[in-house]
Amino acid sequence: MLSILNELKVPITNGLLLGGLYGIIGIGMSMIFGIVRLVNLAHGDLIILASYLSLVAMTFFPVNPLFTLIVVIPVMCIIGFIIQYCLLNRILGKGMNPPLLIAFGLSIILQNLLLLIFTPDARTLLTSISVKTIPLGNFLNIPLVYLVDFIVALVSIALLSRFFNRTYMGKAIRAASDDEGAAQLMGINTKTIYAFAMALASGTAGIAGILVGMTFTFYPHTGPEYLIIAFGVVIIGGLGSLLGTFLGGLILGLAQLLGAHFLGPGFQLLSGYLILLIVLTFKPTGLFAKG
Amino acid sequence: MEFLRSRRLYGIILVVLGLVSLPYWASRYWILVILLFSLNLALSQMWNLLAGYSGLISLGQQAFIGLGGYTLGVFSIYYGLPISLSILIGGIISVLFALMISAPIFRMRGVYFAIGTWTVAEVLRILFSNWKYVGYGMGLFIKPAYKLSFNTIYYAALAVGIASVMVVYFILRSKLGLGLMAIRDEETASETLGVDIFRCKLNCFLISAGMTGIVSGVLYLHNIFIQPYSAFGIDWTVRLVFITIIGGIGTIEGPIVGSFLYVLLHQWLSEYPSVSLLILGAIAISVILVAPKGIMGTIQEKLGFEILSPRRK
Repeated sequence: MLSILNELKVPITNGLLLGGLYGIIGIGMSMIFGIVRLVNLAHGDLIILASYLSLVAMTFFPVNPLFTLIVVIPVMCIIGFIIQYCLLNRILGKGMNPPLLIAFGLSIILQNLLLLIFTPDARTLLTSISVKTIPLGNFLNIPLVYLVDFIVALVSIALLSRFFNRTYMGKAIRAASDDEGAAQLMGINTKTIYAFAMALASGTAGIAGILVGMTFTFYPHTGPEYLIIAFGVVIIGGLGSLLGTFLGGLILGLAQLLGAHFLGPGFQLLSGYLILLIVLTFKPTGLFAKG
Repeated sequence: MEFLRSRRLYGIILVVLGLVSLPYWASRYWILVILLFSLNLALSQMWNLLAGYSGLISLGQQAFIGLGGYTLGVFSIYYGLPISLSILIGGIISVLFALMISAPIFRMRGVYFAIGTWTVAEVLRILFSNWKYVGYGMGLFIKPAYKLSFNTIYYAALAVGIASVMVVYFILRSKLGLGLMAIRDEETASETLGVDIFRCKLNCFLISAGMTGIVSGVLYLHNIFIQPYSAFGIDWTVRLVFITIIGGIGTIEGPIVGSFLYVLLHQWLSEYPSVSLLILGAIAISVILVAPKGIMGTIQEKLGFEILSPRRK
């Protein structure tokens, strides 16, 4: 028993840490799904866009990529606001499919725009963090970048949670999400609120993009990979709670690394997909959904 | 009306005759254009059957494209079966796979269905790229197809292109089609009137899967090389979505017009594939915002002009 645990400690620790990163990848999609009732199929590409923005920022200011958050988050927020205000708001209330297809088109446009500008070469946000490991006791080494991912993700989600509970804007967004009609009667302009929600979600995509870029290599076409991860997190975690999304990320991360451990590294993604399909089939509202 | 209908019929026959005789009078370039047009038409018509008529937005058509292509490869290379038979088996395997995944996949609705089908295709992609029998990520070189002449592949493509239009046309005029249109107009009311919604949608899903598998067999006669990353890639469905939306979702003529525009644009910008996708994406978004019924849907609405009417007069 102890030997099994000893053997599994690496995939479990790394799975949980990676799960934190998955949480921040999924949180923006979860917000938009819950608030605007829209599946943003471009979410993965927004994340990769942020990775490239950080790359560009780093060529001007050769600093640690984490510092480029100061530039990348506002830019991503503006992009998100424009996307919602100019495109998606115009199509709301006309059924589920048109917004889905617009987001899909947006995703393809973003991918090919990135391809034109940055060529298909593999990129990464190089830092000294990427290669270091820190020893935990004398029996386990943790990749430092995974730990940084986890902490940044956790802090961001905690801040978001405060924002939703304490500020006027946060409460207005929740009100618009709970009952659009009633929120309008209370004097909330729901369409503007949706645009702010998308700005916020894109901001979290900005954080996710920088973390992803520090942790893995990325190409213009890696967006869909993170979209499916984000969707997995949203489905497993269920809508309506930030904590659920975070837990969904942890479960997905664990499932992937345990799958890779038992079946071989080629199957890391596969085990994540299978978990997603199982939850989709038996409990599509998610494991931690409210109500 | 009778006069108009017969004139339309003659028009269709004339166009088909023109396409059949194409290898005798047109240049190789135009034969290639029509070949690609037919394949894209057949694939997008099958996506249209799902999304436009059954309300099932599938993002997983590439699952059946990959299955059809790989079946052609495996049976014609490893077992030496005739190519036509291998293509048919590809269709059968696609239907069986669709039947197998239908139990879980039909528990998902709307967006969940879209992502569910996509995830299934991703699962296949990983399985095939880790499967020694089909050459891992290297894929298969479909050598037997090398012996076919260009004209044979052209006729096969043209046949599946025309067949796809006829399949959708006859489905829409059958009991299944009436059920589908009733569901599209008012789901609850149609159910109380005795339309078996699950059965209607499942039949469409199976037909679409089978046809896509067969078309993909022909497609890989032309491509000759199959790899898991391209065969099971989302790029296929991206193309089908754009073609159908621009042409007109939920119309038979939509995928015809859309495929033609797609192939022309693609050939014109063949050196810059990312530019052509960029343009297509922008056109598709504008179409959804400005004229959600697409080119043919808008023309039908404004002028009442239909080449192939699904309604019985």
